[in-house]
Amino acid sequence: MKGLLLKDLYLTFKYCRAFILIIAVFIGASFINEHSAFLTVYPCLIVGMIPATLYSYDEREKWSIYSATLPVSRVQLVSAKYIIGLFSGATIILLTAIVQAFKMINTSFILMNYLSVIAFVASICLVAPSVFMPFMFKYGAEKGRIIYYVVVGATCAAFIVFSVYQESTFILNNTFVIIAVCISAAVIYIASWLLSIAFYKKREI
Amino acid sequence: MNAIEIKDLSKSYKGFTLDRLNLTLPNGCIIGLIGENGAGKTTTIKLILDMISRDSGSITILGKDNKDNLLLTKEDIGVVLDEVGISECLTAKQVGKIMKYTFKNWNEYTYSEYLKKLSIPDNKKFKEFSRGMKMKLGIAVALSHNAKPLILDEATSGLDPLIRDEVIDIFGEFTRDENHAILISSHIVSDLEKICDYIAFLHKGKLLLCEEKDRLKEQYGIIHCSADDLINISPSAIIGKKETPYGVEAIVARNKIQTGMEISITDIEQLFIFMAKEAK
Repeated sequence: MKGLLLKDLYLTFKYCRAFILIIAVFIGASFINEHSAFLTVYPCLIVGMIPATLYSYDEREKWSIYSATLPVSRVQLVSAKYIIGLFSGATIILLTAIVQAFKMINTSFILMNYLSVIAFVASICLVAPSVFMPFMFKYGAEKGRIIYYVVVGATCAAFIVFSVYQESTFILNNTFVIIAVCISAAVIYIASWLLSIAFYKKREI
Repeated sequence: MNAIEIKDLSKSYKGFTLDRLNLTLPNGCIIGLIGENGAGKTTTIKLILDMISRDSGSITILGKDNKDNLLLTKEDIGVVLDEVGISECLTAKQVGKIMKYTFKNWNEYTYSEYLKKLSIPDNKKFKEFSRGMKMKLGIAVALSHNAKPLILDEATSGLDPLIRDEVIDIFGEFTRDENHAILISSHIVSDLEKICDYIAFLHKGKLLLCEEKDRLKEQYGIIHCSADDLINISPSAIIGKKETPYGVEAIVARNKIQTGMEISITDIEQLFIFMAKEAK
């Protein structure tokens, strides 16, 4: 498992550098347009693509076949991608927390608003990859990516349309709702993880 | 104990069936699995490694069923695939670090010695390697975790003669240890003829024969005669034949041919081609 994670980290640093630039641009832009939900959500969706990108390279470079000859289980192969998804998600949550704190300190810091944004970003980071990963492990990277692009497109369109009418779209009113949103996202992520394992165990490589 | 034993192994896909394959790889030996593209060589290897599920039959590796804790067994198996499968952005040094955390028996010293011996640069990216270099890295990985059987799928295909010779020497050295064995598949028969102790012919999912290489040469020979002369030869002696306007070339079982007839030595490739054509 450690070997798989190390390999995925090497690949992340090599193949996902462009993502860092895109995220930096969006974070910079979010200072200009402080109330855009899209600018906050899009980096989460970009980061959510990392496991799919890695898996896509695995298939293209035949690592997905070679790894089946190594002493690693299908559970570990799937789990490595979900753990990478958690790591990259945690990074973007941390970044958002810092950026939002900085932005709010300059205006008016309301703890509930702050936590709402973090909870929302965390949920997107968990739910976005949860949607496509099972498809990816069942049908392969390309089909999984197509599904993901559909989800990303629909989400972005919804936010663009929604943010025209309402500036702060993800302000939740109480602690209970914030916790409920986070728990629901975590449950979806775990369910997706288990489903991917079930699919990949049956897949002929 | 045999390194690998396959009994009545079957697997069906749409348009292809691996049909009740029986194959044994004794320790200390190299067995060459020869077959045309699509004969079932890779399917057999994937079944051995449980990458695909079998329809029936049994496979034991080092005395254990391959469905029984295969992860532990894979610690002792070295595998090199046709396209190796190492990520292209990785260097040999990074591959070594990954494998250190993958194999319990990973031997860093052995790996670095193989890198030196095979002249593999440790800081060059895999995608910048030539095919021969990629294969050598795959072999270095396979040999650096105390593997007992090596499974090589088309590992020598497309290598230049110098590298092939180098690789053949390594395999020869590896099987000097009687606990080691190699299963190597290829559609390039000449690659295997040099190194194998046993030869198995696989054609359209069926095993045509599995025999010691030297015995094959003893048992079979090639005759050149006219079509009229061929009539005098018992049909059971003829393994395969090629008729042209200038005469007949036939592979025959030596023990079924009457004395006095000139029988030339056949090579494995000729034998396979004639048998495969006859089996059509």
